[in-house]
Amino acid sequence: MATQTAAAPMKNSNAKLQEAISGWGFILPAFLILFVFMILPLFVAGYFSLTDWNGRRPLTSPDPFELVGLENYQTLLVSGRRVDDFYNALKNTVYYVAGVVPTQTAIALVLAVIVNQRWLKGRGFFRTAFYFPSITSSIVVSMIFLFLFSNTGPVNGAIRALFPGYQNVSWLTDNNGLIHNFFGLFGVTSRTAPEFLTETEIFRISLWEWISGPSVAMFTIMVLAIWTTIGTMMVVYLAALQNIPSHVYEAAAVDGATQVQIFRKITLPLLRPTTFFVVTLGLIGTFQVFDQVYMLRDEQTRESTMSVAYLVYDTAFNLSDPRMGLASATAVTLFIIIFVATILQRRLVGGDRPVDQ
Amino acid sequence: MRKVFVLALALVMAISMSGLVAAQDTVTLQVWTGSSSDAENAAKEAQIAAFEEANPNIDVELLISPDYGTQIQASFASGDYPDVFTVGQFDFPSLLDSGVLMSGEGMIENPEGVYPSLLDAFSSEGTAYCVPKDFSTLALFYNKDLFDAAGVEYPTAEWTWDDMYAAAETIANSDAVADGVTGFSAAADRNRWLGFLYGNGVDIAGEDGMSTVNSPEAVAALEFYSSFTTNGVGARPSDLEGSGWNGEAFGRGLAAMTIEGNWAIGYLENDFPELNWGVAEVPLSPAGERGTLTFTECWAVGASTEHPEEAWALVNFLTGEAGAMSVATAGFGVMPARPSAAQAWLDARGAEYEPFVSGAEYAVAPVFPLGYGDFTAAFDEGTNAVIAGEQTPQEFLDEVAEIWNEITEENM
Repeated sequence: MATQTAAAPMKNSNAKLQEAISGWGFILPAFLILFVFMILPLFVAGYFSLTDWNGRRPLTSPDPFELVGLENYQTLLVSGRRVDDFYNALKNTVYYVAGVVPTQTAIALVLAVIVNQRWLKGRGFFRTAFYFPSITSSIVVSMIFLFLFSNTGPVNGAIRALFPGYQNVSWLTDNNGLIHNFFGLFGVTSRTAPEFLTETEIFRISLWEWISGPSVAMFTIMVLAIWTTIGTMMVVYLAALQNIPSHVYEAAAVDGATQVQIFRKITLPLLRPTTFFVVTLGLIGTFQVFDQVYMLRDEQTRESTMSVAYLVYDTAFNLSDPRMGLASATAVTLFIIIFVATILQRRLVGGDRPVDQ
Repeated sequence: MRKVFVLALALVMAISMSGLVAAQDTVTLQVWTGSSSDAENAAKEAQIAAFEEANPNIDVELLISPDYGTQIQASFASGDYPDVFTVGQFDFPSLLDSGVLMSGEGMIENPEGVYPSLLDAFSSEGTAYCVPKDFSTLALFYNKDLFDAAGVEYPTAEWTWDDMYAAAETIANSDAVADGVTGFSAAADRNRWLGFLYGNGVDIAGEDGMSTVNSPEAVAALEFYSSFTTNGVGARPSDLEGSGWNGEAFGRGLAAMTIEGNWAIGYLENDFPELNWGVAEVPLSPAGERGTLTFTECWAVGASTEHPEEAWALVNFLTGEAGAMSVATAGFGVMPARPSAAQAWLDARGAEYEPFVSGAEYAVAPVFPLGYGDFTAAFDEGTNAVIAGEQTPQEFLDEVAEIWNEITEENM
């Protein structure tokens, strides 16, 4: 029956088929790469998170692991002995994200606006200079920071030159939280803090510890991250700024708007989709902070610079007690956290809403 | 026609058979190890080349990996792992449990010739699974100039913990010693202070799985080690102008003493040739004993190898008398795992490094049993806190003893 239908649709469906084949053919290489390196590992990690695999027992051996259900999540999130490890890492990571994302977004925007000015001489130079840290290997940048922030390094030297009475801060090994230090100025320390803060424990971490703020060592890592990412974000903002038609500005100028008004009422709203993009990238990137921590951490700052992504690595590749199952559960949990955070900020920044003109 | 076909078939089979036979003649072994210094890598390559020379039928494909731990773990996971590889003492329990190590029963040549404490580190229930290739121990480094300046006698064989503390105190408070120079560089690392714990007669595992890590002797050991930093007569290396480790703080002359391993010898000789220093055995504990730690690595045969005979031949070549001798005469930081080659190492390295060799007699490999990872994690956290003076040794050790006992009960 079907074969007797008119030739035209037949030809049409043939063309459609060909189109589909070539379409799939074109995306196949990218799809395969995405599938093998992104999608498949996601599901494999999800599966391993339900096992007690140690990451070493050959998967080809008879019983490399047992299915343990949600036990790893229980160990990690609810009642395990290392539950404080996870929440400590989460606390550090949240402080890190909260410190890095707004700062880098704001500075990137300011820099982009500056290097977008027509009157600025040597714009090319500044654009290159600001972008340079982003294209430098993060390992190399970390090495430079290790040198700059060492106890006897240039940073401490410069501060001491300005303030002769300055006591060297060990930027890389100081575990004290910034908020704790701030409280310390008013004489509030772990010994004098109200009892409900030091005695109340949530997930085996006292309230007092929860409000520690990032440690000085973590702060140094945050400075590093901000410095390296600003360039990329700046380029994105710069492209968006150059896309804003000049007649909008001309109209505003004719209406007698001041520079500040133009920036607040025109530039910022028109940049909203870009801000959404920059903040999303920032959130995802910072929640997964790993290599900067890997390079700048020290055994002494193990706790105060532990990020969730580093905890995944540390659990999976521990020398004496590797736990791939638990590490996978940590990774899946991090995925869910990032997923939720991205949706929340989509609501807040509203990147999907059309720009009100 | 059919005859021709059969003949051709027979010919093809004959050729392929002879090919098989030829293939069986040369055996290829995959050998993996981690990368260390250039000189040590070159020495490993030379050893393998010598083995291939002596065994023309064995072809070795050597991989010296800069990211060995991650790479070999991935190979274990896939089930496609090398025939022969190196294993560190901390990895051993979990690798044994994962079933990737072949038993050395009846395969190891002259195991009696290896330091028993080292072979024990790689044995389970009396069977060795891996043959130690070299090892290191910890000893007391002291800066002769700082001792002289403060008028303190050099450490002797009779030195006790109290003597060591008194020396550090005198040097730290001496007017003849520059400000910022301390008596003792004390890394916040269990792999430094545990030697004092073992030296005071403590067995962490205790009896019946109930840990004695919070026994009075253990508390005394940590009180001793942490008293340097908490009383200000010693400091962590990072507090000594941001030194990366004990060796650096000591080399820069910022600490009069430290506890480090023989790997620091080459570093100090190369980077601080002006430094006037010596080495002594660790001081005697109140129990009248010495305790130090050993760090060792071994050559293992993969359980999945298709050529166990050849693989063990290689391991025996690398770790036997000749192998130990080549480790010794190369004169690296590490010492040969066989006492028979100890003298050769001292000849190559210098007789003054005898304390490291003597340490082998009473050294313990600080490896906790499998399944006690939570204990280890808590132990490292607490060590940091105690050395920083944020927690008392008693509090910390009570806490970790409880964790140990919990784990034991769960596993029963």
